[in-house]
Amino acid sequence: MLREFLRLAAQNVLHRKLRSFLAVLGVCIGIAAVVGLISIGLSLQAMMKGEVSKVFGVDTFVVMDQDMMNQQRHGAMKEFALNMDTLQGVEGVKIVAAVRQRTAFVQGGVNAEGKAQQGFMPVMGLSPELLTEFSAFTGDLALEPGGRNIQVGDTEVAVLGANVAERLVVGLGDSFLVAGEGKNEIRATVIGILAASEESDADQGFASGMSSSSGDTVYIPYATMGRLWPEGNDFLVTAVKILPGYEVDDVADRAEEALKAEGSRVTAITSGDITDVIDEMLAYINIFLGGLAAISLIVGGVGVMNTMFTSVLERTKDIGVMKAVGAKNRHILAVFLIESGLIGLFGGLIGTVFGLGLSAVVCWALNTFANMPGGVSFPFVASPGLIVVTLLGAFAIGAMSGLWPARRGSRMPVVDALRYE
Amino acid sequence: MALLDLQGVTKDYPLGSTIVNALRGLDLSIERGEIVAIMGPSGSGKSTLMHILGALDAPTDGEARLEGHDLRELSENELVTLRGRKVGFVFQTFNLIQSLTAQQNVELPMIFLGVKRRDRLERARYLLEKVGLEDRVAHRPNELSGGERQRVAIARALANDPEIILADEPTGNLDSETGATILDLLKRLSVDQGKTMILITHDPDAAAIAHRVVRLRDGRVVQEVRNA
Repeated sequence: MLREFLRLAAQNVLHRKLRSFLAVLGVCIGIAAVVGLISIGLSLQAMMKGEVSKVFGVDTFVVMDQDMMNQQRHGAMKEFALNMDTLQGVEGVKIVAAVRQRTAFVQGGVNAEGKAQQGFMPVMGLSPELLTEFSAFTGDLALEPGGRNIQVGDTEVAVLGANVAERLVVGLGDSFLVAGEGKNEIRATVIGILAASEESDADQGFASGMSSSSGDTVYIPYATMGRLWPEGNDFLVTAVKILPGYEVDDVADRAEEALKAEGSRVTAITSGDITDVIDEMLAYINIFLGGLAAISLIVGGVGVMNTMFTSVLERTKDIGVMKAVGAKNRHILAVFLIESGLIGLFGGLIGTVFGLGLSAVVCWALNTFANMPGGVSFPFVASPGLIVVTLLGAFAIGAMSGLWPARRGSRMPVVDALRYE
Repeated sequence: MALLDLQGVTKDYPLGSTIVNALRGLDLSIERGEIVAIMGPSGSGKSTLMHILGALDAPTDGEARLEGHDLRELSENELVTLRGRKVGFVFQTFNLIQSLTAQQNVELPMIFLGVKRRDRLERARYLLEKVGLEDRVAHRPNELSGGERQRVAIARALANDPEIILADEPTGNLDSETGATILDLLKRLSVDQGKTMILITHDPDAAAIAHRVVRLRDGRVVQEVRNA
C-alpha cells in the first residue's frame, strides 16, 4: 500500500506545482546552507589533516615536555630533560633527532671600523638526522653556494642565518666564538650560510617556529650543544622515526613509558593525537556552523508546514471523499506525511547539490585567489555520510513539519469533510 | 432480514450554540435489490439520512443496521471498513480527486481495501468500459465533461462491488439530457448487477426510476409510494 500512497502523494505535489516549488525552495535553501557550511568545515579539516600528515607521515612521532601545552613557550618552562640513548633503545625506534635552543653570547669578526662584532643570539642544536630524515620539520634550509649542512660527525661547526653572517661579519670557513654556560665555549667554523629567504616565515617549516626569523639563528650540531650547556629545560622537540612493521602509537607509548621511568616529564605525540585535537576543535566549529544553518532549515520547515496546512484545508473535501470510499485515519495521515516528506526530500536533493556546489566554489576560490602559504590547498570534500544523513534529515523535517497539519486532516470527521465547501 | 433497517433513528448535531434535531424517530427498511428514491425539501433531513444509510455517521439514538451490523456499536475503523466494502457513493458534485486520472480515481477505494495492483487495474478498466469511458482512462477530471465525471464517479462507486449504491443528487449538476443518460446507466447497472440503489434527489425524473419513493419532512418519513 506504501507504493500507492507514495504515488498519491507525489501526484499531489506535482499537481500544485507552484506552491510545492516554493515549499521545496524553502527547504532547499536551508539544506544548501547546512551542506555548504559543513562541507566547507570538512574541507578545512581535510586541509589541516593534510598539513599534519605532510610533517608527520605514519612513521613519525615527537616527544615534548608534557607541560608544554600549558606553559608559556619561554619563561615558566619546567625542568625537562630526556635521555636520547634511552629513546634510541626503545623497541621499534629507527632514528631519533632532537632540537635544543638557547641564547648564547657570540663574537665574530671585526667590521670596517675595526670593531669586534658580538652579541646575544639564538643558538639551535640540531641533530644532523633532523635535516636528512625529518626534512618536513625543518622546511627547506637552502644554503648559499659553497656551503653545506651539518652532517653526522660534525663537531665545532655552524650554519648561520643570513642576518647572523652579516652581523658577525663572518663568511664560509671563518670561525667565531660561541659561549655557553659557565666557562664552556667553542670556536665554530662556518660551513654554511642560509640563503636569504624571500618567503615569509610561515613557509620555512619547523625552523621558523624556533626563533623570530631563521635568518637570525645560529645552528650547531646537537652533540656540540651538549658541550656548551648540560641537557636541561631547553628541548624544543624530539622527533622519532620508527622502523617499518611497527605501529607508531605502540612505539610512542613505549617511548613515553621508558622516558617517564627515568623521571622525564614527557609526552609522546603522534599524528593521530594531533588529528584528534583538530577533529575535536573542528567538530565544535561544524556544530556551530551547522547550528547557524539549521536556523534557515527551521524556517524552511515552517514553510512546509504552512504549505501542508493550506493543502489539508484545500483538500478537506478530498479527505472526506477518501474516507467515504474506505480510507482510515492512518491512511490519510500517511498520504499527507509522505507528501510533506517528499517536499522535504526534493528540497534536500536540490539543496545538497547547491550546498556541495557552494562548497566547491569556495574551495576553488580559496585555492585560486587566496595566496595560501606553502602550497596549502583546500580539498573539496563531498562526504557520502553527510549526503545520506542530510537527505534522510530533509525527509524527516518535511514529514515532521507535515505532522501537525496531517493529523488535523486525518482526524476530520468524514461528514464534516464532505460538507466542506 | 432487510439490508438496511432503521428503527426510531434520531440524529442531533450542534450548530453554533443550538442543537439541530435533524432526524426525529425515523423508521425505514430497504431490501436487497431495491431502488429507493428519498425526496424532501431542504432541511428535511435527507443528507443526515444519507450519512447514516451510508455508514458515514452513527445515529444519536435508535437502531440503524446495515446487514445486521448495528452502526452504533461499531468503532470508527469498523465503520470505514464496512462502508468501504458495502457502500458505493455517487455525489452531486462528483467529488473526484483532481490530481488523479479517471482510472486512478476508480482504483482509489480498492487501494484502501488493499486490493492487489493487477486486480485493481483490471477492475478499473472493466468498470470504465462499463460506463463507456474506455478511451478516457488517462484523463484527469478537469479534462472531462460533467457527464463523464459522473460516469467516473459511478465506476468508482462500483469499485469494491458494494451491495449498495448511494447516490446524492446524481443529476443535480447535469443538464437534463446528460442527467437522463446517467439515470439510465444507474438503473441498468443496478438491475444488471443486482445492486440496491438509494437516490437522494429533488429530481422527479430520478424518482421515476425508483421502485419506491420515500418522502421526508422535519426528520420523519411522511409518505412512502411504490411506483408501478
